[in-house]
Amino acid sequence: MSGYHNVNSINALAQQQSQQNRVKVGVRNWQNATVQDLMNFLSRNTRIAITGATVEGPLVTGFVQSRADADALMKWNGIRFAGNNLKFEILDDANGATSNTILLLKNFLYRRYNAQTKMLDLGNLHADPDLVQKGLFSSISTQSKMFPALMKLASKEPQLVVESVNLSDNNLKDVSGVTTLAQTFPRLKNLCLANNQISRFRTLEVWKNKFKDLRELLMTNNPITNDKLYRSEMLRLFPKLVILDNVVVRDEQKLNSIYSLPVKLQQFFFESNDLGSSSTDFVTNFLNCWDSDRTQLLPLYTPQSQFSISVDSSMPPSSVPDSDQNPSFGYYLSLSRNVSKVSSEKSIQQRLSVGPEPILNSFKSLPKTKHHLQDRPDEYCMEVLSFPQISGFIITLHGFFEETEKPELDALSKPTGTTRSRRFNHGHNTSNNRLSKKSFDRTWVIVPTGAGVIVASDLMTIRPYTSAAWVTPPHQSIPNAPIASSTSLTGSGGSPVPPPVAGSTGPIGVPVLQPSNPAMPLNGTPVPQLAPTLQLPPDVQSNLNPIQLELLNKLHLQTKLNAEFTYMLAEQSGWTYDVAMEGFQRSVNNLPREAFIQ
Amino acid sequence: MSRYGGGNISNASGGNRSQIAELFVKKILAHLDDTDPQKLNQFLNLFNSNNCKVVFNATPFAQLPLFLQMWQNQIVQTQHALTAVDYHVIPGSQTVIFNVNCKVRFDESGKDKMGQDATVSPGEQKLQHQKHRPANRPLWGTYFGVSLQLVVEERLFSNDMNGVILAFNYNMIYKPDDSLITVN
Repeated sequence: MSGYHNVNSINALAQQQSQQNRVKVGVRNWQNATVQDLMNFLSRNTRIAITGATVEGPLVTGFVQSRADADALMKWNGIRFAGNNLKFEILDDANGATSNTILLLKNFLYRRYNAQTKMLDLGNLHADPDLVQKGLFSSISTQSKMFPALMKLASKEPQLVVESVNLSDNNLKDVSGVTTLAQTFPRLKNLCLANNQISRFRTLEVWKNKFKDLRELLMTNNPITNDKLYRSEMLRLFPKLVILDNVVVRDEQKLNSIYSLPVKLQQFFFESNDLGSSSTDFVTNFLNCWDSDRTQLLPLYTPQSQFSISVDSSMPPSSVPDSDQNPSFGYYLSLSRNVSKVSSEKSIQQRLSVGPEPILNSFKSLPKTKHHLQDRPDEYCMEVLSFPQISGFIITLHGFFEETEKPELDALSKPTGTTRSRRFNHGHNTSNNRLSKKSFDRTWVIVPTGAGVIVASDLMTIRPYTSAAWVTPPHQSIPNAPIASSTSLTGSGGSPVPPPVAGSTGPIGVPVLQPSNPAMPLNGTPVPQLAPTLQLPPDVQSNLNPIQLELLNKLHLQTKLNAEFTYMLAEQSGWTYDVAMEGFQRSVNNLPREAFIQ
Repeated sequence: MSRYGGGNISNASGGNRSQIAELFVKKILAHLDDTDPQKLNQFLNLFNSNNCKVVFNATPFAQLPLFLQMWQNQIVQTQHALTAVDYHVIPGSQTVIFNVNCKVRFDESGKDKMGQDATVSPGEQKLQHQKHRPANRPLWGTYFGVSLQLVVEERLFSNDMNGVILAFNYNMIYKPDDSLITVN
């Protein structure tokens, strides 16, 4: 047990580890070109650099920076290069002594993990025979240095779903060596620190506002528990703590009612069912035209219709996921009718557009956009209320759009605009006009007429992009949003039918909305349109690149295999169409009935 | 011409309309932030008693008092900050539609609107504790984003606020990671 020696070996270990992060990969089916061509092609298309390329038989091998890069590269399997479909493979990345240490620690983690109780037992580490044998936990100092490494490894293992951690019997005098626990498992529910030597509150302060879901804490046999402020301090540090040292300290029911809203966020509200389909039709068609040709929307507006935008330039907190902390509203500000910000009554009146011509002018003064109602329906939220006073209804849509081009008209150069000379005397620069993603809230007041609908009022808020409050983490989301289904393709089995132009019928019918170009795609993204019978789980689909999706679709339509078997076939054949079809023909007679579309 | 109106948009009183509009929205937000249950009735008076739609986070409330009770009893103290207001007077309908954006943060001290928390304390310690505590100061968390649509009777602009609210649609649009309050 030569403790002092271990500190150095750990530094060396850390260095080697970063070297070791690189992963060896192999590329097949590249033979029709030079290795250099291949490397150029790959870095150009995949944006993943492969270093140290050498030819080994039919393979080109090399290294990528990290496991993540290697995994990303695998998604490009089947990409066409020099007349062949490339095939990538991850070669053994666990060679050498250092990666053996990583392997050892990984094995250790899994040995100490109980999947059933979701508990990671890191108790009494210095007595673990394996670790002692490797000399990794022979002293407290090395132990505290190894702990972050352990945590880092643990955070890279998605299979480790941890709700409870045991850190008892580790000779801890404070938690400075194990603070990283809060980064690795921020949602931890139970923590045991019993039988250590923790004596001061100060050291626990690093965990304040971390562990927001910590429900139970066990600190028995620590000097700190004798302090008379112990209980109140623990209550202060861990706001949702319910059980401290086996004693109930908070009423859990009361706690839940304080910290959660009684009403869960819903994505959709329709006052009646028929409003649902007609309003999704309306919104889908409206935004299609809004994105492609805004003049087509003109028939919806009468001489009394009103339109205005309002810029909410308030910055979302940085802790809002994906929030744009540097938004630019250059194209919108001169049109903004936010009466809480615009003080000039004259401007407020000018910025209200009444009647088709002024409204079209305003439309053309806004950047060109792309909404993603079809391909990312989860990121939109809608409420529809009836509006008896006008025998109509109100549609409110919350979501986001991408700005694709600058506006057709320059609102600033309009004669009615504010005087340019005064306004832009100082500090005006073009970064205010950067195109980016924006979030929005848009409310239409709709009046059905015999022939279609008219828009009585159209109010829009433009705000910095943020991820939406109603979006749940991917593993919880259910892929059946009404917007998607109302425009999803019909027909079964056959080749993918071109998306029908929706909205030609329906309760409120919107014939005036028919785009003049019937071929206008409803779904303008590069993601291939999948056959309706090819239903991939969203998490699988999100891991596939467009080429793979197209291959799956092709195989699915050719073989009539169901989604699961299509995927298996594609995977087994290395995402190569010909190989897959060959394999299919060989085994078609042995496949079970349920392998096919029912 | 159109079914919804024959009236013209009057600019006559345009001057203070926007001010009234903004003040009215601020008044509603202030009511939401109020912790005094006695003042609930005053809030109730703003809503049309026969025919008012209330939607909160895309969930409808059959009756307004149910919503206000929930707000009073089951949601901790709030603080709203107005960020944007726009409105259109819908001609011929005698109504105004509002499009409002604001931010809201919640008291994360662990106490409800009545100042009660969830701790189960051995009596003596709690008494002592309360004596030294500053009187129920809220600990504001991080801001959430809110989008609010209102349908209001036009007589609002002649400063008549009795029962003017016909529809109230309140939805959270963004949420911070670091709040203790869970909305889903």
